[in-house]
Amino acid sequence: MRLYIVTVTALSRAGGVLAMLLLAAAVLVTCQMIFVRYLLGGSTIWQTEFVIYSIVAATFIGSPSVLIDRGHVGVDLLPKALGGTGRRWLEVIGGVAALAFCLLLAWSGFIYFYEALTRGWRTATVWQLPLWIPLFPLPLGIGLLALQYVAEMLKLRDGGTLLAGEATHFEELE
Amino acid sequence: MGPFASGSLLLLGLLVLLATGMPIAFALGLVSIVALILSGGFGVMEIIGETFFGGLASFSLVAIPMFILMGSAVASSPAGRDLYEALDRWLNRVPGGLVLSNIGACSIFSALSGSSPATCAAIGKMGIPAMVERGYPASIATGSIAAGGTLGILIPPSVTMIVYGISTETSIGRLFLAGVLPGVMLTALFMIWTIISCRIAGYSFEAMARRFTLREKLQALPRVLPFLSIVVAILYVLYGGVATPSEAAGAGALFCIVLAVVIYRMWRPGPLVEIFRSTLRESVMIMMIIGASELFAFALSSLFVTQSIAMWIADLEVNRWVLLLFVNIFLLIAGFFLPPVAVILMTAPILLPIIVQAGFDPYWFAVVLTINMEIGLITPPVGLNLYVINGIAPDIPLQTILKGALPYVLCMMLGIIILCFFPGIATWLPGRMMGVAL
Repeated sequence: MRLYIVTVTALSRAGGVLAMLLLAAAVLVTCQMIFVRYLLGGSTIWQTEFVIYSIVAATFIGSPSVLIDRGHVGVDLLPKALGGTGRRWLEVIGGVAALAFCLLLAWSGFIYFYEALTRGWRTATVWQLPLWIPLFPLPLGIGLLALQYVAEMLKLRDGGTLLAGEATHFEELE
Repeated sequence: MGPFASGSLLLLGLLVLLATGMPIAFALGLVSIVALILSGGFGVMEIIGETFFGGLASFSLVAIPMFILMGSAVASSPAGRDLYEALDRWLNRVPGGLVLSNIGACSIFSALSGSSPATCAAIGKMGIPAMVERGYPASIATGSIAAGGTLGILIPPSVTMIVYGISTETSIGRLFLAGVLPGVMLTALFMIWTIISCRIAGYSFEAMARRFTLREKLQALPRVLPFLSIVVAILYVLYGGVATPSEAAGAGALFCIVLAVVIYRMWRPGPLVEIFRSTLRESVMIMMIIGASELFAFALSSLFVTQSIAMWIADLEVNRWVLLLFVNIFLLIAGFFLPPVAVILMTAPILLPIIVQAGFDPYWFAVVLTINMEIGLITPPVGLNLYVINGIAPDIPLQTILKGALPYVLCMMLGIIILCFFPGIATWLPGRMMGVAL
């Protein structure tokens, strides 16, 4: 169990670093695009799509590490008001529901990705990027998010919490 | 099952899930997927991923992470403190000066970004800690920023107005102009309320009223000027039609990071990574809610919930002001649950003919609709601004933010009433600049 949590958390953190790099790349490419288009008067081909898909990829791949930091906010009025066993139950129910969503979205995203890959779909632009490339982060990132959710729920047994603003890192539980 | 029954069930399911404290994005997404599967079978799984992805893959959304990054860069450098120091020196004799300058900054910044969450993130990141540090009540500090941030969808250039223009085939330029004066009016209403509420809370403005000399005021400027020049550059680029908000945001983000590195010597990897880390946290949270809202909107329209309500209102043969009241209530409720863009895309094409037939101006209606959507941004369960504020000020409980934002909802309702009595506030400027609408 401990090995699972440590491994998945490390993967999620790696995803977080990759997402930050994608974000930085999107900023640099946007500026390069402005430079080429407005200062050199040239035309740009791949930049707009690159920026859009980098941001989308950063969203999906960065999602698991944001979960570790409890960045996905919720309305925690009721669980905090209840406290004790009631709060624990709500956290478990909410956790299972969130896990269900992640699994459904990852699965559906995988169907979309798989179709794009096997049917050789491309984006309807001059760049003609194979569509599976921007789609891959969806099943990958959300799949990892599901794994991370399992890890976070395992931590519940050791006194962790799923509520926003009260992140419990594994190190703190030792 | 009829649209009303299924719609009620869907909303009930959402409320139950949200009550567990689970992330908004996942609760919204789950009820939508379940509703779609129950109504259309498992075949719908083929388009869930596509809808979610499609909701995010848009160049205009790129502005959100970019502006968060810009705000994050400015916030983690001492530039934020310098700006507040400067604003304080210039405005500290005015009651509630810092809150006033925050709301002013919100309306200016939201004009740049056209994005409410980005405005809340950029201004709130600097403004809320500064206000709390000065002893302002946390509810007023967060409520005023949450409300000020909503001005972004009203004051041009506004993405919401662009979407309205596209879906109703009205002039986007005229819509932009229609939003200017109502935006100024709401800013003034927010400022007035802030002063009143500070007085009610017993906050003593006099305690802060140290007199600064002109020399001290001028000395505060050089450290603020590089930051202000970026703001001016973004304004110039946007209003000059040189670049899109996303491009301006990207350039602004880069300039702010470069400024932080050059002027404030933040060249070590540590602070830079922290800038990106906090940007990622906020932008991922917001983008996931946007994607899930797309699923939610899809589910509601598949079940004909939103359409049925709109048609039901159209069938009532009532006085035009009673009709408008119903439309407002409907928009208000829709705005509680749906993001502005989704509400507009689903209802404007149905509502606009009814509204025009009742003798209302479509550009005036765009403003009223947008203010309704602004209310939705600071009310639960999908009040994006509240959650953005919650994300950047994790120490302040959501309840406090909600309590602080509520009076500003009433300010906006008052704004709608004023617009009903004086429609010229919205229609005068576009008429003046672009001639009479056809």
